Amino acid sequence: MTADALASPGFAEPKADTEDRATRRARRRSQIVRLGSIGALIAVFAYFAIAAPGFAALGNLTNVVEQSTVLALLAFGMSIVILGGGADVIRGGIDLSLGANLGLCAAAYTVASNAGCSDIAAAAITLAVGTAVGSLNALAVVGLGVLPLLATLAVMNICAGAELVLTQNTVLTANSPLLSWIAGASWLALSVTDWVLVVTSVLLVLAVHGTRWGLRLQAVGAHTQAARAAGLGVRGYLAGTYVGAGLLTAIAAIVQAARLSGSSPGSGDILLSVVLTSLMSVVFSRRLLPSIGGTLLSVLFIGCLINGFQLLNVSSYWVNGVQGVLILFVVAVRSLSTRTGGG
Amino acid sequence: MSAAVARPRGPDLVRAVTPAALILLFIIFSVASPTFRTPGNLLHILVNNFTLPAIVALGMTLVVSTGGIDLSVGVSADIAAMVSVTLMSLGHGLATSLLAGLGGALLVGALDAVLVTGFGISPFLATLGVLFIGESVQQQATNGGTPIYLVSNYPEAGLDFLAHGTILGLPLPLWIVIAAVLLVQVLLTRTPFGRHVRAIGAEPRVARYSGVPVRRTSWLVYILSALLCGIAGLLLAATVKSYVPLSGNAFLLDAIGAVFVGTTISREAKPNVLGTLLGVFLFGMLHNGLLLIGWNFYWQQVAVGLLVFTVLGASFFSRRLQTSD
Repeated sequence: MTADALASPGFAEPKADTEDRATRRARRRSQIVRLGSIGALIAVFAYFAIAAPGFAALGNLTNVVEQSTVLALLAFGMSIVILGGGADVIRGGIDLSLGANLGLCAAAYTVASNAGCSDIAAAAITLAVGTAVGSLNALAVVGLGVLPLLATLAVMNICAGAELVLTQNTVLTANSPLLSWIAGASWLALSVTDWVLVVTSVLLVLAVHGTRWGLRLQAVGAHTQAARAAGLGVRGYLAGTYVGAGLLTAIAAIVQAARLSGSSPGSGDILLSVVLTSLMSVVFSRRLLPSIGGTLLSVLFIGCLINGFQLLNVSSYWVNGVQGVLILFVVAVRSLSTRTGGG
Repeated sequence: MSAAVARPRGPDLVRAVTPAALILLFIIFSVASPTFRTPGNLLHILVNNFTLPAIVALGMTLVVSTGGIDLSVGVSADIAAMVSVTLMSLGHGLATSLLAGLGGALLVGALDAVLVTGFGISPFLATLGVLFIGESVQQQATNGGTPIYLVSNYPEAGLDFLAHGTILGLPLPLWIVIAAVLLVQVLLTRTPFGRHVRAIGAEPRVARYSGVPVRRTSWLVYILSALLCGIAGLLLAATVKSYVPLSGNAFLLDAIGAVFVGTTISREAKPNVLGTLLGVFLFGMLHNGLLLIGWNFYWQQVAVGLLVFTVLGASFFSRRLQTSD
């Protein structure tokens, strides 16, 4: 009976016309945002190619990709969490513990490896730590109902403290066959680090944008009530996003340990870039939602930006400031372009 | 509307979580360390572990009451310290330097306010952006983070008085906390401004439609928060007689944690002054007690994280149990 009422044209028709116009206008706006941001990306790229000698060289570009892998894996995790939890910053999904978790996992790998664990054991420990941190987030957010912002902030503190306890705030070095394989080996002109990025990107794009699971995940994030009414296990999907993000972080930590030959304090600083790239990804999407492809584009954009600054000898102190301005710019554009007439 | 903001019904155990944690920790530390419960140490906690975070957290209470959050508290404190210490080291007078420092903090608050009210950016992201721009500016200004030290014989005794002076036997910073408590408490509970703040926090759209001056109120809230942070930054600078870049960030987690831990003692789960003070004191006691029983700084950080996690988890979970009937 309710279904009949909803389906009857009498209810739908009067609103359809106005909504249609609003939708069309919104679509046009989001198109402008999307094309504008791709244009900005090309403009920055072209500027560096002309102004910074050696920027467009193939070797330098692969370097950018390699430097971006860790950030990309974390940003993928953040994007999945935001997709599943909804885009509202306070009540929606966000995982502030990713940066600290990266540091903790890298420290765990290094310590385990130095304590004489085999590569497989050390990697397993690292993955277990990352997943455990993700599960802790999931427990707080899904099980206990704490706001994601607060829950992950507390977990961030726990992880950062645990990392300090493990490393005593010093640089630890590690050498193992796995690390040197990741850092050194290459196949088809791409290093193992590049392959990690390529394989994860492809898998995640397929999973999030091409499978029933991904579609349902987006449904959970966009319309929680509707998803629940449709019989989806909302809590399971939400918990999955946090655990998945933790797992991605652990993988990123092993890559990071290979790149730095161990662990060093201060990995948590990456959090800003993670938040930024995840948010930036929305400007590449038609519906202004985070997407894996968009996240990858934003990560490469930030990578190019940092690399270009280095080549132009711009002080590295400005990098954070520029990222802060970018966040504000992206979010202002989004909020202005999605603002409808009434509200 | 999510379950987290729904009203709990009836008298509840939730509101006892924070006071219980406070008492429990007090007992544990008193047993574990005889020096902990001496009056001297308790005063030490009040002055050294409580005053500055309390001032920052009071500003945060205002911001969170409007449904926002201020991640740039550290920047406001640091910029205030940076401006005034730089001026003092150049030989300017104490009053000029302090006022200029507060002016710097006000600028940070104004930037937050413009971004939040003018551009419609969510407070979390707006203040996150300001946080990183502020860090960048500090690094640029101090050549990567070199502290600025005041010469030990800075001519004006006023600076020393700011940090260590006493009035009627109580340290000056404690008086400033008392003033800030009264200010925020009166503003929040006894003025039209406070009603507007709470209305915006409850339902911003309804507040706007019913004629609440949303923009003006938000402006004031961010300005007040920045001002309080600036005062904390100046007190810190006066205590350590230097400006250490990025040192204000230490306030951030304690302030946010204290405000949200404080919401657990309110029946409506709203930020409130008493709860915030309890939260700050809880953290201060934890830092001090762990230090006395020999845990180092690293373990303290884990412990604070676990405490916030547990208190928030317990309170949100029992609220969820109550509201899902």
